Amino acid sequence: MKNNTYKYLMIAIFLAPALILFIGVLIAPIIMSVFYSFFDMKSISLKGAEFIFLGNYKELFTSGSINVWRALGNAMLLAALSVFLQLPLSLGLALMLGKGIKGERGFLSIYFMPVLISTVVIGQLWRKIYNPDYGILNAVLGLLGIGDKMPLGGWLGNEASALWCVFVPTLWQYVGYHMLLMYAGVRSVSPELREAAKLDGATDGQVDWYVVIPSIKPILKVSVIFAVTGSLKSFDLIYVLTKGGPYHATEVPSTLMISMLFERNRYGMGSTIAVLMISLCFAFAILISAAFKEREYGKKHVIKK
Amino acid sequence: MKLKKLAATLLAAAMVVSCAACGSGSGDSGNNGGNKDTGKKVESVDLKSQKVTLDMWCIATESDSNRKSYENAIAEMKQEYPDITLNWEAFENQSYKTKIKAAMAADEVPDIFFTWSCAFLGDFVDSGKVYCLDDAYQDYKSELPEVMLANSTYNGKHYGVPLTMNIVGLFCNMDLLKEAGWNEVPTTYDDLIKCCDALKAKGIIPFGCAGGETWCVTEYLEPVIEKSIGADAMNDIFLGRASWDNAEVAKAVDTFQSMVKAGYFDPNAVSLSNDEVKANFMQGKYAFYQNGTWNCADFANDANFFPKVKVTEFPVVDSSKGKLGQLIGGPSDTLAVTAKSANAAVAAKYTFELGKRICHYGYLDGCGLPAWTPYGDTSNINGLTKAVSEICANANAYVLFGDTAMNADDAQKYLDYVAQVYGCKVDGNAFISGLKKEIR
Amino acid sequence: MAKNMSSKNNFNLDQYQVQKTNKVLKVLIYIGLVIWALIDLFPVYWMFTFSLKSNEEVYGTNVMGLPKDWLWSNYSTAMTTGNMPLYFLNSVIVTVSSIAICLVAAMMATYALTRIIWKGSKTMNAFFMLGITIPIHSSIVPIFITLSKLKMVNSYWAMIIPYSAFSLAMAILICTGFMNDIPKDLDEAAYIDGCTLWQTFIKIIVPLMKPALATISIYTFLQCWNELMFAQSFISQKKYRTLPVGIQALSGQHTTDWGPIGAALVIATFPTLLVYVFMSKSIQESFIAGAVKG
Repeated sequence: MKNNTYKYLMIAIFLAPALILFIGVLIAPIIMSVFYSFFDMKSISLKGAEFIFLGNYKELFTSGSINVWRALGNAMLLAALSVFLQLPLSLGLALMLGKGIKGERGFLSIYFMPVLISTVVIGQLWRKIYNPDYGILNAVLGLLGIGDKMPLGGWLGNEASALWCVFVPTLWQYVGYHMLLMYAGVRSVSPELREAAKLDGATDGQVDWYVVIPSIKPILKVSVIFAVTGSLKSFDLIYVLTKGGPYHATEVPSTLMISMLFERNRYGMGSTIAVLMISLCFAFAILISAAFKEREYGKKHVIKK
Repeated sequence: MKLKKLAATLLAAAMVVSCAACGSGSGDSGNNGGNKDTGKKVESVDLKSQKVTLDMWCIATESDSNRKSYENAIAEMKQEYPDITLNWEAFENQSYKTKIKAAMAADEVPDIFFTWSCAFLGDFVDSGKVYCLDDAYQDYKSELPEVMLANSTYNGKHYGVPLTMNIVGLFCNMDLLKEAGWNEVPTTYDDLIKCCDALKAKGIIPFGCAGGETWCVTEYLEPVIEKSIGADAMNDIFLGRASWDNAEVAKAVDTFQSMVKAGYFDPNAVSLSNDEVKANFMQGKYAFYQNGTWNCADFANDANFFPKVKVTEFPVVDSSKGKLGQLIGGPSDTLAVTAKSANAAVAAKYTFELGKRICHYGYLDGCGLPAWTPYGDTSNINGLTKAVSEICANANAYVLFGDTAMNADDAQKYLDYVAQVYGCKVDGNAFISGLKKEIR
Repeated sequence: MAKNMSSKNNFNLDQYQVQKTNKVLKVLIYIGLVIWALIDLFPVYWMFTFSLKSNEEVYGTNVMGLPKDWLWSNYSTAMTTGNMPLYFLNSVIVTVSSIAICLVAAMMATYALTRIIWKGSKTMNAFFMLGITIPIHSSIVPIFITLSKLKMVNSYWAMIIPYSAFSLAMAILICTGFMNDIPKDLDEAAYIDGCTLWQTFIKIIVPLMKPALATISIYTFLQCWNELMFAQSFISQKKYRTLPVGIQALSGQHTTDWGPIGAALVIATFPTLLVYVFMSKSIQESFIAGAVKG
């Protein structure tokens, strides 16, 4: 009995630092956010704040000046792009590098480099790249003989082009991140397995498709979860490049939240958006995990046949 | 000498007309925080005997026109009061607006902070964050006319030290106008349009406006509205006495938008910052640049550019309502003291002394017209600032900048719709119906 | 990992027929790899060149080439008016402290979760894993309010505490992977020798967790080094500004002077890249280890 008490005491001690941090900084704020989201807070304290229950939620989805649908749509689009464009690109690079190519290390190092550069630096750099008067993008297009292709308003000023111009560096920066994760997976596929497949007459592509990709599924799942939740919470690059403009064309939930908090002084509404973001991230993480489970299950069936 | 009087007396008269209402529009009850026992006579603080450290935030960054006047004023203060240490930091204009609100919410504001008058400061006063300056003001009554405090007075109490006052001016690059066959600045709206067409035909972009910073768009839109519907009607709307639901506003917005649609504005400037646009104007990329008259200093300091530039007010659009002499602007740049400051009384006094000097040097540099009664030799004021004084001397009404006149939430909604107008997302009718729904 | 790499060399692809069709493919692969490498390198190259140019060159004809006059004065401008060294130091302080706190908390927690047998350990582990998907930005309002009540806005702690807390989930995940690789016999041997749980942790587990240290550090570094929203909202005093905030402020002030901005960007990037160039292999391997163990 005494031993047991000691054990649980030790467990408590070992868990204490992590639990305090975790509950204090993550869990408690979520509960507080939910609470705040029921109030119309004009200042930072609840003093004088009016309890409006779901009023913020209602306003959030119906107001004409809060473009929440647009923000959500943009985040979803970014998530879709990163799953269907960024990750395949990363996978492609990982598979190519995984074939044991000369200079493999060098390529690997170059591809991972953008991940290490501060996002703000990358944002400022791309602002200069897109500059309508002196930017390098126009210069490059000019060299290729397709100058004057810049949309009206400049790359970041045109409603139609701004979103894509913001997405490009966002996706570009983390290609290397996912590539390295996948590369690790590709490398850990046992050579005997490849060998066996090749002996069966499989081409390189077939080996990748039927042997390598299925065996790195756990890593793909992690990548997809990171890519999707990362897109839902993307902030830095968009904030540096456009702050959500022009005309809310590049608004995402996090930029919307910041403008609610610090431009419009609406802390209740800011919390409402925070709650929305958390719910979405959880929902997607669960969905993706479920989707991968389903597939694995399906695959097993096929093999059994 | 003549100029000095012009500036001081005429401004003072004009201020009473338009701005007195501003203070009372904000804040309903008496719980405005600050020092409560104003009934007692407080002995005025002797700054020389104080040994304290004060912190200050402002927007006089390296690229700001006001930088020099801050540096000069602070250096002079240091000499005069060597025992008071001032730590000051400057933030970029657009981000400062966010920063100061966040800091205010967290009670992390320095002793002295720069603010815009009227609703911007009013939001802080309402939440009891600002120190009342009534006691400290007693010593400066003779140097700082009380009317100049109108925009920073709430429920009869003074909360801000005004620095310079500015209006929106239409700056013209005369070299470019001449190229298009105009030796003089167009004085009517029709002429302005003709001039723009002529400029366009020559391949010159008429207007430069930083779409990336919506306040720059308002510098164009607000004069158009004012010269269409008149200053009184506009003040009523801005200060919350009338609804946005006003067909004439819609018409004025459409007028502005027709200029955008006609291609008079640099389309590439949508994504640029004001600094970039201003640099473009000074390099001769645009014929006109309509912005605050604080820019006079920078234009005057550029020896190449200065001879080319002239300043005027936007022409009348609808002569039945708008008139020349109805201007956008007023004393907006203000310093205030935090209620939580440990040395609030000293900081208050210090702020008056500092404000007086910033105003003085700012006026000498051409950063705007003085809110304080000018002193010293003012004969070297640059021609542009002199021209602005002339315009103000003939002024009969002022409407304060919209984003300063309205509270934070409303101002943001307003800016949002202004940006949409500039981007031709909404027309005049959608603008007024949207703002009617969102604000009043 | 290492085993697989060495066995690759023994595996001779040439003896198989399929290899022949690969020649063209290999060239194509190379072209693809080189193109992407250029896409990654070009912006960085451009940043280096315009950091040394005057506005005339940037605005003029020499947009892409190497600078004609190497304007090192841009760097002194960025160093003095931009305060880059201070911001860099702040970033290092914040990041290193966050990593340290995160490491200690994660190791202790993981030890309790994986080495001590108790009923709720699985649930507790799942509870921590919630943290992986919670976006750091969503807690900004409550944290802001709490910090301002505690008078902790404008301090290193305003960044260190949230950063380490938000890195915790990932760190525990990685730690679990590494700790599971340590044989349980060691614990038992220590127990028989009369070690307490605490002594076992300090003397046996911690020394064996060194590889995890590097991996967690890298993941936490990536999380903290770039963070803008918290740093921007919580810090107003210059002396606590981190690099991202400093660069934002500097480019707000000098929008029209490209040289000094470029110089600031390079200064902010260079030390990290330098470390990376020398340690790229071990950094990559640690990163990969995290992926595999996780």
